[in-house]
Amino acid sequence: MSIEASVGKDLIEQLIDGTIDAENATRLLKMDRKDKDRFINYIAVLQERVSWEDQILMRLGDKVYIVINADKQRVAKCECGHEFCDYRKNWKLACKIRTRRTLEEMQQVYDPTPAVPEPGWQEIREFFCPNCASQLAVEVVAPGYPIVFEMLPDLDKFYREYLGRPLEDESSEWYQDQTHSVTQQWAAKAS
Amino acid sequence: MAEALSERDQLTTPGTDGDTPTLRELVDKRDHLTNSTGHYYGVTELSLRDADPIKYERFYAKMHAAVLAARESARFVAASPGSREMGESLWGLATPEGDTLAVSLGFLSHTAIFPVSIRYMADNDYDINDGIDDGDVYAVSDGLTGGVPHPGDFYSFVPIVVEGEVVSWAVGINHLMENGAPVAGSWATFSVDTFMDGLVCPPMRTGRKLKQESWWKAIWERRTRAATMNILDDKMRLAGCAMIHEAVHKLIDEFGMDYYKRAIREIIEESRRMILDNMKALLIPGTYNGCAFRLVKYEGLQNVWSHANKNTLIHVRASLEPNENGLLLDTEGSSKWGYHSYNATPGGADCAVFLGMINSFSHNTKVTAGIELAVQRNYVKGSIYNPDNEYTSNANLWAQTVALNSIGFNAISRATFSRGYLEEAYTIDGNWGAFQGAGTAADGSNYGFTNFEWLGGTGRGAWCYRDGEPLVWAAWSQIATIGDAEEFESTVPPLFYLGRKLLKGFFGYGKYRGGPGNSAVHWCVDPGKHVALTRPNGGLSCTPSVGLGMSGAYPGPGSFMISARGTNLEELIADGETPRDATELLEMVDEGKLKVNNLEVWKTDCPELALENNDLFVDAAGSSGGWGDPLDRDPDLVIKDLNDGMTPHYDFVREMNGVIATQDSNGVWQVDLAGTTEKRAALRQARLDGSETAESWWHSERQRITEKTFTPEVREMYAQSLSFEKFNLEFGGFWQVEPGYTLEELAS
Repeated sequence: MSIEASVGKDLIEQLIDGTIDAENATRLLKMDRKDKDRFINYIAVLQERVSWEDQILMRLGDKVYIVINADKQRVAKCECGHEFCDYRKNWKLACKIRTRRTLEEMQQVYDPTPAVPEPGWQEIREFFCPNCASQLAVEVVAPGYPIVFEMLPDLDKFYREYLGRPLEDESSEWYQDQTHSVTQQWAAKAS
Repeated sequence: MAEALSERDQLTTPGTDGDTPTLRELVDKRDHLTNSTGHYYGVTELSLRDADPIKYERFYAKMHAAVLAARESARFVAASPGSREMGESLWGLATPEGDTLAVSLGFLSHTAIFPVSIRYMADNDYDINDGIDDGDVYAVSDGLTGGVPHPGDFYSFVPIVVEGEVVSWAVGINHLMENGAPVAGSWATFSVDTFMDGLVCPPMRTGRKLKQESWWKAIWERRTRAATMNILDDKMRLAGCAMIHEAVHKLIDEFGMDYYKRAIREIIEESRRMILDNMKALLIPGTYNGCAFRLVKYEGLQNVWSHANKNTLIHVRASLEPNENGLLLDTEGSSKWGYHSYNATPGGADCAVFLGMINSFSHNTKVTAGIELAVQRNYVKGSIYNPDNEYTSNANLWAQTVALNSIGFNAISRATFSRGYLEEAYTIDGNWGAFQGAGTAADGSNYGFTNFEWLGGTGRGAWCYRDGEPLVWAAWSQIATIGDAEEFESTVPPLFYLGRKLLKGFFGYGKYRGGPGNSAVHWCVDPGKHVALTRPNGGLSCTPSVGLGMSGAYPGPGSFMISARGTNLEELIADGETPRDATELLEMVDEGKLKVNNLEVWKTDCPELALENNDLFVDAAGSSGGWGDPLDRDPDLVIKDLNDGMTPHYDFVREMNGVIATQDSNGVWQVDLAGTTEKRAALRQARLDGSETAESWWHSERQRITEKTFTPEVREMYAQSLSFEKFNLEFGGFWQVEPGYTLEELAS
């Protein structure tokens, strides 16, 4: 595949659907240089598939997107349409959480039994969309561990410097982790 | 600056004043030129490449061919099975300062130690007292002075000297079969300081004129338990280095010294630029966070060394941030160093971190020190990655630093997924295992051993578009192979394989499942006077190898082992049915077929296990994580796994994947699509019914934080990590606790 090669939307759709055959997957893996327009084509394919109108800025996980919503805010949003929160806050704090703490609870998701994490040292946290109940993230961590903000992209920098397509609402305020403002509010409500 | 640069350049350039530069001057010059210009060695123009690219590439091809040939020849001259059969070796060529120019196949990231060793030699004037001559042989296996990831990895350095000046180094590396520590094997699992790590060599000359001195053989014979294997490997490393040494001298004769000296700088700068370009092409700027945990189970086992007699839950914490100069991997928040074998050094940690980085960003360019310039690392002093104690053990560094690599590697996967390069996005776990030990045969002969099999090949984590594959992956080598069972049987006389297979269900579940891990049953036959083993393990099943699943999937489970001592195996052999993996063994015990006097399941490190005739040792390792929500898995794939015996049992996958199935008269599973739809809806509702809002969860969990009701190991972990500002701020901000919140570390 040449340096100038472009990857068609059909292959992108097959990657998203998991229907790509081994030969094509290998061909893509062996590209010497990746096709530069992939991100734009990828977002276009995703935009056609979702049931809502908000502009997709980025896909964070199988079903989690950063979009510009009707209020011109950049928010994290589920594929089902549920809006989590401002994308600068860890969207996992807008999920429902199921925690597996006992051996019996953990045995339902790990096998065989000797491979199950040890209660007390570890717990399993499952993060669900409150609307569609999709499982969007899993943490296996020590009890008391702060929920991990897996990825906070610098969208302005990416669109301007990596893609050469600056976003209209650029601001130095966008690349900030504001997760602690959420827990601060929770603490204030309790006191 | 330009004038000062020029002045310094003249000071240390050979021939300008008739003096040969010292090694210290060479290292200083490299540091100065690189740091002051942002380009390797101050090279801003690739003048040789641009003037005659064919000549330039021909030059590099010859250099690369030399290291490739070294591996492909030397390992067949003399080698232990780990080096000959598997990817546990490497040859490289470096600049005078130790910066990598070319590497062979093998465990590629181990080049990271080269500049650490050379800097130590330079700082300690090895070239002045009593000189470094062409074809000298240096041995290195120390973490602090040599950067070696663990002393079981042994390095041979051969300087290439022309007219009194070091112009390059040929280096050969392999993982020893045994390295002479109190805990026999090659990862001394229960070491509490460097003095228990086995044969630890700061850079030291052991030979001249491409020949080891006579005393060196005595070291292998008297200070290790596998002298024959280790001497073979020593010859192997040196044979490869001798080939590189000869090839480089010829290269200099052909191209001239001036060309050589300029070209080696351009090669590294060229690859650095290519790596930066690759990073910008594949990544998304921002902050990526990850974590992992690894238990040290020493309490009750270290009575002799009372200061080490406690458990420690190691916290591996890292963030990755792409920037203008490449990317930053920051480990602040990870645990402190401790009196255990799992400490790293900066050089050793580099060996782990660069696994993912080289794989991801050097795939289409020359594999050189360019990657080290593009990846900035922060190993905080006092942490497990940069101890403020010179005597720490790093005998089993890999047991936790591989998780550090996995965090960085997974961050790259997240970025490629978001960028749309889905074909590159897959789950990284890096769960590995091995076993090691020593014995004395009936005739009194002693031996030590390491069986690398589950280090050689592991399951690959799920891709974001298909299941992971078994056995095909090893983050530390391009050559994933578990080696021949017969080879390992030949090195461990009383241990024979009863089974060696994939372990059903042993992976992380998701829309796409991880590649399954492996399990073997080792049968002890007539052990003679004694045989005993331990197991090092890259992660143990009391914690998974990484803390975060990908897109709603579960991380792969950790490794475990089972010892079954005092068995009725002879009866089973007579009946023609013996266990072939961990699950079969446990099932046969439950069914009463296999009778065991002492059955122990180890989810943490096992102390030395002595084996008698017909005892069994069973292990499981190499599992990997899934990708995506398990309820989104194609029902046909669930059925296929059931029929292939890949998943444990129907009841488990019914609840995991929400698939309803029935077995026909031939025992073949068939999907019930209507039942599946109904089941999945019920499971989704159960998720909502059985979960709580994050706010509610936070309030109840915060109670535990304020009351400090953790197990001792968890309390110890937080006590250590909270001593580092970055994690302290994160923890305090998340839980909204008062500044100064702290926990006390455990006493031994």
